[in-house]
Amino acid sequence: MRARLIAAAIICFLIGITASYAEDIEDNPQSFPDAGAEYYQTQVLPILRAHCYSCHTAEPGGEVDSEFNMASRETFVSGGHSGPAIDEQAWSESAILRAINYEDSEMPPKGKLPQSQIATITRWVEMGAPWSDTTEASPAQGPPPVDDLARNFWSFRPVKRPEVPAVSDLEFVRTPIDAFVLAKLEEAGLSPAAPARKTTLLRRVYYSLIGLPPTPEEAKAFLADDSASAFERVVDRLLDSPQYGERWARHWLDLVRYAETDGYEFDRAKPEVWRYRDYVIDSFNSDKPYDRFLKEQLAGDELDLETASGIIATGYYRLGATDSGAAERLQAEFDELDDVIATTGQVMLGLSMNCARCHDHKIDPFPTADYYRMLAFFRGIKRGRGDSTRQIQVTPDGGDQQLAGRWEAEFDAAERGIQRTENRLRRHLKAGEADDFEEETYRPAIVRANSPLHVSEVDLAEYETFLTKRQELEDNQPIGLARALCVVERGPQPPQTHVLVRGSPYAKGDPVSPGFPSVLTSMEASMPTPKNDATSSGRRRVLAEWITSCDNPLTARVMVNRLWHYNFDRGIVRSTNDFGYAGTPPTHPKLLDWLASELVDGGWKLKRLQKMIVMSSVFQMSSITDDQTMERDPENDLFTRFNLRRLEGEEIRDSILAVSSNLNPKTHGPSIYPSISDEVLAGQSRPGEGWRQETPPEEQARRSVYVHVKRSLIVPLLAVFDAADTDASCPARFATMQPTQALTMLNSEFLNEQAKIFADDIRNEVGDDPKSQVAEALRRVTQREPNEVEIERGAQLMVALTREHGVAADRALQKFCLLAMNLNEFLCLD
Amino acid sequence: LKEKKVNIPPKTQEFCGRTRREFLWQTGAGFTGVALSGLLDSGVFQALAAEAPASRSFVNPLAPKEPMFPGKAKSVIFLFMYGGPSHIDTFDYKPAMVGMDNKTVKVKTAGRGGKKNEGRIVEPRWKFKQYGDCGKWVSDLYPHLGQQVDDVAFIHSMTADSPQHGSAMLQMNSGKILSGSPCLGSWVNYGLGSVNENLPGFVVMLDPRGGPISGPKNWSSGYMPAHFQGTVFRSAGEPILDLRRPDDLTENAQRYLLDTLQEYNNEHLELCGGNPTLASRVASYELAYKMQSTAPEAIDMSDESEETKQLYGMDDPRTSTFGRQCLMARRMVERGVRFVQIYSGGNHNDTSWDAHGDLIVNHELHCGETDKPMAGLIADLKRRGMFDETLIVWGGEFGRQPTAEYEKGTGRDHNAYGFTMWMAGGGVKGGVSVGKTDEIGSAAVEKPFHVKQLHATILHQLGIDPNRLTYFQGGLDQKLVGVEDVEPIWELV
Repeated sequence: MRARLIAAAIICFLIGITASYAEDIEDNPQSFPDAGAEYYQTQVLPILRAHCYSCHTAEPGGEVDSEFNMASRETFVSGGHSGPAIDEQAWSESAILRAINYEDSEMPPKGKLPQSQIATITRWVEMGAPWSDTTEASPAQGPPPVDDLARNFWSFRPVKRPEVPAVSDLEFVRTPIDAFVLAKLEEAGLSPAAPARKTTLLRRVYYSLIGLPPTPEEAKAFLADDSASAFERVVDRLLDSPQYGERWARHWLDLVRYAETDGYEFDRAKPEVWRYRDYVIDSFNSDKPYDRFLKEQLAGDELDLETASGIIATGYYRLGATDSGAAERLQAEFDELDDVIATTGQVMLGLSMNCARCHDHKIDPFPTADYYRMLAFFRGIKRGRGDSTRQIQVTPDGGDQQLAGRWEAEFDAAERGIQRTENRLRRHLKAGEADDFEEETYRPAIVRANSPLHVSEVDLAEYETFLTKRQELEDNQPIGLARALCVVERGPQPPQTHVLVRGSPYAKGDPVSPGFPSVLTSMEASMPTPKNDATSSGRRRVLAEWITSCDNPLTARVMVNRLWHYNFDRGIVRSTNDFGYAGTPPTHPKLLDWLASELVDGGWKLKRLQKMIVMSSVFQMSSITDDQTMERDPENDLFTRFNLRRLEGEEIRDSILAVSSNLNPKTHGPSIYPSISDEVLAGQSRPGEGWRQETPPEEQARRSVYVHVKRSLIVPLLAVFDAADTDASCPARFATMQPTQALTMLNSEFLNEQAKIFADDIRNEVGDDPKSQVAEALRRVTQREPNEVEIERGAQLMVALTREHGVAADRALQKFCLLAMNLNEFLCLD
Repeated sequence: LKEKKVNIPPKTQEFCGRTRREFLWQTGAGFTGVALSGLLDSGVFQALAAEAPASRSFVNPLAPKEPMFPGKAKSVIFLFMYGGPSHIDTFDYKPAMVGMDNKTVKVKTAGRGGKKNEGRIVEPRWKFKQYGDCGKWVSDLYPHLGQQVDDVAFIHSMTADSPQHGSAMLQMNSGKILSGSPCLGSWVNYGLGSVNENLPGFVVMLDPRGGPISGPKNWSSGYMPAHFQGTVFRSAGEPILDLRRPDDLTENAQRYLLDTLQEYNNEHLELCGGNPTLASRVASYELAYKMQSTAPEAIDMSDESEETKQLYGMDDPRTSTFGRQCLMARRMVERGVRFVQIYSGGNHNDTSWDAHGDLIVNHELHCGETDKPMAGLIADLKRRGMFDETLIVWGGEFGRQPTAEYEKGTGRDHNAYGFTMWMAGGGVKGGVSVGKTDEIGSAAVEKPFHVKQLHATILHQLGIDPNRLTYFQGGLDQKLVGVEDVEPIWELV
């Protein structure tokens, strides 16, 4: 197997790597004529600007905190109140280094810098604090300027394909990725961890690619397969399975803050929003090129060929929270456009452009005008619910027209039935209740509350029947024809966009036209002239084309970094949504750029890169390393080992369903509503509202990506395990460890129900022998053969529970199954 | 897994049969997330944490932190009158309105019914009288609280940005009318940590008639991790979700099950080189087990005297629920909970303070339910010497208009232009009032204060500089009080 992989890697070396790449100055500052000065400019200065300048720079003679002025080398070295900042006799003893390490004083006071930035400054000081005065032109205070220095920031520079470095341990190099990682390890004199065990590796690749554990049979087959291509075949099978898209769609949905309701006071369900979720799943499964994927979401309606999926994709613009009851409508309109800019900037470009809404960006080189030029691309979008859907043909022929006609007639009949009762009640309602009744989602609760006083029991029963009927029809629309939640514009000519002074929609400043961030390109955005009867301005397509152009320095870098992040639990750039000055610089800049080049050169296909990543030796390392390596690489900056992690909420819920053999693999369609206990519903202002408790059990047992995402009510199991917050882009999940998680896993109704199903299934499969039962339960959750000690321990627990603790015999196995689902080996991935 | 001789140790109340020190070492050395000091003697624990290698050092997000400067208050009890109490019928005395009933006046209002420029006055329906040494005018809705006014600081000139429940609730709780930011209770725990890890640091108690509009968004930690999220405590039955073990499992049986679980987990931990993530999970089960007894104990009233219960109005069906919640709040604060929020009012319309229909029925109901318990809480905290360290905050998301919402009746619409809130204890001055609304209470006219100044005052009393408490998110140092610096209400402190 090794030989073949090395051969593959060498072929990659030969054909794949042609362009040369300037030595990265971070790797080797001495190789430049004025490397020190450049190191200061490109690496150190951005950190100082972001974290120190606001208090520690001024024109000569100006006021700075503690009289420590960083404006020139002379004042920097001489320091302030507490003496020289830099010790020119003993560089590494310098006060500035003690301060940023929080040894005596603590700077910056808002929080310690990330370790990588501390390392950069340390290195710079130890180089003798080289300086470059070309930066003197920059104003010492105020927002960072858009100048050549800014344009030369690492993430704003064009991507150039680096050469794959030469390394000595060829055994390790299965893919070019391995060479990049190994080169840094060898430079540091460290070795990668040993390869992970086969069972560990299998679990790891399953969760990475499909978010589910292997079945015991799959694990057994893989263990028994000694052929060189055994692992590769597993990878190919997983990449081809429909579960791959379900897993990776979840990541994208986190990023675009996907939710299925509007949030705020009414938290209404968004119509047809699940089609967007299915679109994302299908896009990952069909390996849609990433540039196409972005273009469809940004401008699917403005592309040359309009497709149903292109329209559904523009549902992207409708996913955010929207306050239909907002007191200031104009303010709300701009708040929602800001939400689109924030999401688009952070997700597609790794830029927090939204920080330039009220003033020039304080950290990054984005003037306010850039923000409003970006906003102008979106200015034509209509706000509001009534304008958010369109009829689309899901199949080319529009499906069975007769069927569609019948569906519509039935739907209208149900609507009329509902309205009949509601209209009769309306005249009896007073004050607040009458006002609430105008809100459609509130009506059923109010009708129920007014029965039997104003709505007879017979009428109520009829009303409920019609409600159910309407819901059924909504959930089962005729194939072929459907409505889609999508972007809708005002027409060919959007209103004029102005810079808004301090972000206030009532304080119009200079007019602006659509344009790209000035630090990234000097290219003018050239706007099409839409026809008079056009439904949109065509502006979003221009933006989409710039974002997905090969010259954009960020789009590919940001996406390959996400691929890395979701496989290794941290990005090459740790701040996956922030590639600006305040972000963390890449630990492996060349690897990042190499992957970015590969993405673009490979036609923006993701599966190919995904395969390369999981086939790499880096992915296949053990999570355990020796103490010395731990000490030298505590944060795993160099990838000396694999990062062990706790599973995410969705992975946990799906795995529970999978091991208890209860997972319903059904794909696509309207969302499902797992039962939520009354105690939790009691937190709603109208307990139970917007949550359909009657979802049948087999539907409830579908994967978590199909669970209805209601902004104000998250399924407790997912919430307790750090589900993504849906009000803003979620670039990385938290992985908290809390006692409430243990309570959920031990005591919740869901876990205990699943334990029962799990136990019944095991009894069916292996019969009544406690040891066989324990062995099978452990096999399912760990996907390995349990040893005698483990089996004995479980069997003994069951005996003791029955004999000493009064647990009924059939319940003892349930308790063991509950225990099995609480094992760290099940809930964590190493 | 490596082969081992079958050796099932006897079950003990210790941690999986290991010595306490072994347990401390193995788990404490690797903590990343779980608060543990409640389990341990903290001196021992800190020594161990110090011994731990740097790479696996203990970082507990809820560990108690020193305040930025010595604060007067240690805990907050926020009595949230959801729906919006009418200030001019309660604490904001408007003698000039006497005799104005039904008169149409020019006045700018904004509420659920939209913006209006004139309206029909609804004269305050209750008589006011003076109380205490300070001579504060309080309406007849608050005969008990009236007795405590010398310890209360009133802010009569509150303003908020939205007259709609959804966004106004978010603002009162999180500082922003937009959804997605952490709540006040989250910020307090983020800034100060929690001194008792066996209880949540941010507790929310709801009205049995329902939650507030937007439900859990009102105690969400927003972009902060879930450690800082509010935990709902029920006043009857099991206090916390999933706290009760399944019916067919006795305490001993569950302990046995947990010991067995931990044996598996500890073996796995050893194989994984003592990984801190795994160690944290192991310890979180011990904390959970412990919480099963500490949480019910915190709300178990059996050791409270009848006299105390009566003080809170627990003997009267009308006041028993809110009274019980106030007493629960005192017990939690005693046990180190940082932030307790109690909702009076739930669901919609008249089950909350949202008096759109009949003002008299609505406010007599809600004031009647809360007056005695609140007065009892102040009195009880004072006699226990807890008053100075406990900051009580009272108010809703906004106030109500001086004019009628409809052609007929006494219902008042929302009013975010001017309303009253009060604070007591926690080092704020007693018997003072700041700010004024106009003579009919339609808008703040003297020293208007914004919600963020209220938040700044609360943080300041806890020893936190509101302008320096930041959390980096979305490219920005976020603050509870917003981008611009905000001063606390100095007149009160």
